[in-house]
Amino acid sequence: MTVSTAERPGAARVVVLMAMMGLLGAGMVVQLVRVQFGPYAPVFDARDRAGLGLEERLIPERGLIYDRDGVLLATNGTMYFLEVELRQLTDESRKQIASVLSKVLVLPIEDLYAQLTFDWPSKGQYRIRLTRLDPDAGRLPIVVDPTVAGVLGGFLADPQAPDLSGLQLVPTPRRHYPNGTLAGHLLGFVNQEGKGYFGVEGYYDEWLSGKAITVRRSFIPPDAQRDADPPAGVNLVLTIDADIQQTAEIALEEAVHDSKAEGGQVLVMDPQTGEILAMAAWPALDPNNYEPWLKKAEEDESAITPAVAAQYEPGSTFKVLTMAAALDAGVVQPNDIFIDTGSIEVGGHTIRNWDYSAWGAQTMIGCLRYSLNVCLAYVASDKLKAAPFYNYLTEFGVGQLTGIDLAGEVAGQLRTPRHPEWTESDLGTNSFGQGVSVTPIQLLTAVAAVANGGVMVQPHVVREVVSAEGAFYPRTTVLGQPISAAAAQTLTSMLVESLQGETRRATVTGYVLAGKTGTAQIPTDKGYDPKWTIASFIGWGPVNDPRFVVLVRLDKPETSPWGSVVAAPVFQEIVERLVVLLQIPPADVQALAAGG
Amino acid sequence: MQLLRRYPTQATRQAPWRLNVRTTSNTMLGLVALLVVSALYLAVNARLARAGREVLRLETERAELVRQMGEYTGRLADLTTPKRMLERASSIGFRPAHPKDIEYVVLDGYVPPSEFVAPRPIGSPPSPRGTLSPAYTETLGEWLQRLLGGLRGER
Repeated sequence: MTVSTAERPGAARVVVLMAMMGLLGAGMVVQLVRVQFGPYAPVFDARDRAGLGLEERLIPERGLIYDRDGVLLATNGTMYFLEVELRQLTDESRKQIASVLSKVLVLPIEDLYAQLTFDWPSKGQYRIRLTRLDPDAGRLPIVVDPTVAGVLGGFLADPQAPDLSGLQLVPTPRRHYPNGTLAGHLLGFVNQEGKGYFGVEGYYDEWLSGKAITVRRSFIPPDAQRDADPPAGVNLVLTIDADIQQTAEIALEEAVHDSKAEGGQVLVMDPQTGEILAMAAWPALDPNNYEPWLKKAEEDESAITPAVAAQYEPGSTFKVLTMAAALDAGVVQPNDIFIDTGSIEVGGHTIRNWDYSAWGAQTMIGCLRYSLNVCLAYVASDKLKAAPFYNYLTEFGVGQLTGIDLAGEVAGQLRTPRHPEWTESDLGTNSFGQGVSVTPIQLLTAVAAVANGGVMVQPHVVREVVSAEGAFYPRTTVLGQPISAAAAQTLTSMLVESLQGETRRATVTGYVLAGKTGTAQIPTDKGYDPKWTIASFIGWGPVNDPRFVVLVRLDKPETSPWGSVVAAPVFQEIVERLVVLLQIPPADVQALAAGG
Repeated sequence: MQLLRRYPTQATRQAPWRLNVRTTSNTMLGLVALLVVSALYLAVNARLARAGREVLRLETERAELVRQMGEYTGRLADLTTPKRMLERASSIGFRPAHPKDIEYVVLDGYVPPSEFVAPRPIGSPPSPRGTLSPAYTETLGEWLQRLLGGLRGER
C-alpha cells in the first residue's frame, strides 16, 4: 500500500513540533545551568541537600522558671538574626538593605553599607550575619523581635517593596525575662548560643537546656515521618516569692539611694527549710540585657550573684557565732559580768571597741547590745580558746561552700591554727568578724542555724523540678547541728533583749524579733580603709517559730557608716511587709489562737 | 511410538487464531495483573506522599504554634509582672497592707490553697520509628505478608 503525498503530515508541522521540542530542551538546559551556576545556586544546593535527608540537630525548648506561686520568671521567645547571602546581592539591593535597616532599626547606614560592600569572599565567606556596634560590648549581632521581623518579612515577600534580595531572617530561640531586673542576679542569663551563665541558669544549665538530638530529616514527602521530640528541658519552680523579692528590691534600692551606698544585698531565707525567699542585689541586673555585665564580670567575678560570690569581712554580725560557740561550750552565761577597760591584748595585738571607750561592767547581753569588740575577744581568747572556737566556726560552715544551687559560689576565707599564717592575734580579731571573710549566704546559713534551734540546713533556691516524666521535690538537707537547741534558745533570748537596746530601728510592733547589727571595716592593701565601711544587719523572727532570717548589707554608705543607722531600718521595712505576705499573725494573736 | 507421538499432535492441533488469542489473552492477563499491582502501588505511594506532605505541613505548623505559644506566654507574663500589678493597684487607689491593717480570724478546718505545680515541659521521649501509622511505613512485601498471614488465620 502506498501513501499519497497529500496524506502525509505536513513538513511545516514537523518542523514546528521539532522546534517546540528543541525550545523545551533548550529551556531545560538553560534552567540546569542556572540551577548549577546562577545566583540562586546556593539556595538550590541547600534544598537539594535537604532533599537528600541531611542530618538535623533538634534543640529542645529551654525549661521555664517560675517563682513559688507560678509567676513566670524566665520564658522563651524567638528573635531573628539578619543574615545576608552575598551571592544574591545586587548593587541596588545593597543600597536598599542598608537604607531600610537603618530606618527600621535606627542604625547608622554607613556601617550597614560597609558590611554589605566589604570583600567577604576574599576571606572565604559567602554568608554574613549583620552586626551593630555596642559602646560597651563591642560588635554584637543584630537581632530583631517578631514584630520587626514581620515588617521585614513583608518587604521581602512584596515585589513592589524595596529590593532586599539577599537578606534573610534567621529565627533563633531567645530567653526572655518578663520581670526585667527582678531577681536578675539570682536567675543569671542565657547567651545567644543558648548557654546559661551564673545563678540558676548557670547551675541548672544542663537540666534546663534538655538534650539535643540528631535526626535524619527528609523533605521528600514519602520519606517524611513524624520525628521524635528531643528530650525537653525541665521546668523549675523556685523557692523565691516574687512579691517578697520585689519588696526586698524596692527596700534595697531606696536604702542604697538614701544612704548613697555603692551597692548592697538583701537575702531572706526560711531557717527551717533553707528555702531562699528573696535574694536582691544592687546594682540591678537585667538578664535581657546581660552584655554589659559580662564585661563587669571579667573585671570582678563577684559582680554577678554577689550573695554567693562577694565575700567580705562581716564585722559585728559575726559576734552571733562567737557567742553561740561560747554558750554551747558552757564557758559563759548570759548574765556573766565582764569588766570592759576599753582594750584587750590578744597575741600581741591590741583590740579596742568601736568607739575606743571603756564600757565598764557588762553582762554578755550588754556585750552584744553595745557590740563590744573587747568583750567578744575576751570570750574567744580567754574563755573559749582557739581550738574550740575554730571548731565551732568550721561547724557553722565558715570558710566552706554552703552548696546552694547557684553557680559561682565561693567559700570565703578562714585561717585556722593549722594555717601557716595564722597567729594568735587572729583569734582576737576573728571573734568580732575581722580577718575572716564570708559570703552573705554563708553568714545567713550559719545564723539561721541559731534561729532554727541549732540545726543548720542547706540553703536552696529550687523547690520543684518538673520534667516530661513528672515532678520531684528536693528535700531539705540538714548540714549539721553546730550548737545545741538550749544554747540556740539562750542566744536568741539574748539577741531579742540586746536588739531592744541596740537599735529600735529594727523592731516591728507586735512581733518578737532577734538580730544583730554590723559595721565592718574594709581591708585594703594598706590596712583597713579609714573612710568606708560595710553596714549590715541580720535578724530573724518570730523567735518562737522562726519563718524568716533577713540579711541586709550596704557597701560603702556615705550618709552614715553604721549598720544600726542605715541597714537596720531596711530590715524593719522588709519585715513589716514579710509578716503580711507570709501571713504571720502578731505574737498576741498567735497566743490567742493557741488558746493562751 | 512415532505414530503415538504424531497422532495427538495432529489430533489436538489448535487453529492458529486460537493460539494467537490464547497468547494474547495470557499476555493481556499478565499485563492487567501488572497494571493492577502498579495501580495499587501508585495509589499507596500517592497516599503516602500526601500523608508525608501533611506530616511536613503539620510539623511546620506545630513548630509555629509552639513559637507563638512561647510569645504569648511571654507577653502575658509581661502584662502581669508584680511591678506592673503594683503600679496598676496603686493607680486605682490601693496601697501595700501594713501589719496594723490586718485582722486575723481563726477558722476551724481551713485548708490553705495547694502549692503551685509547674506544667510539664513540651516534648515526648524519642520513639524508634516515630508515630506514623504502619499503613504509611510498611513495604508492599510486608503488606502482602500481613495479608497472607491474615488469610491463613495467623495473628
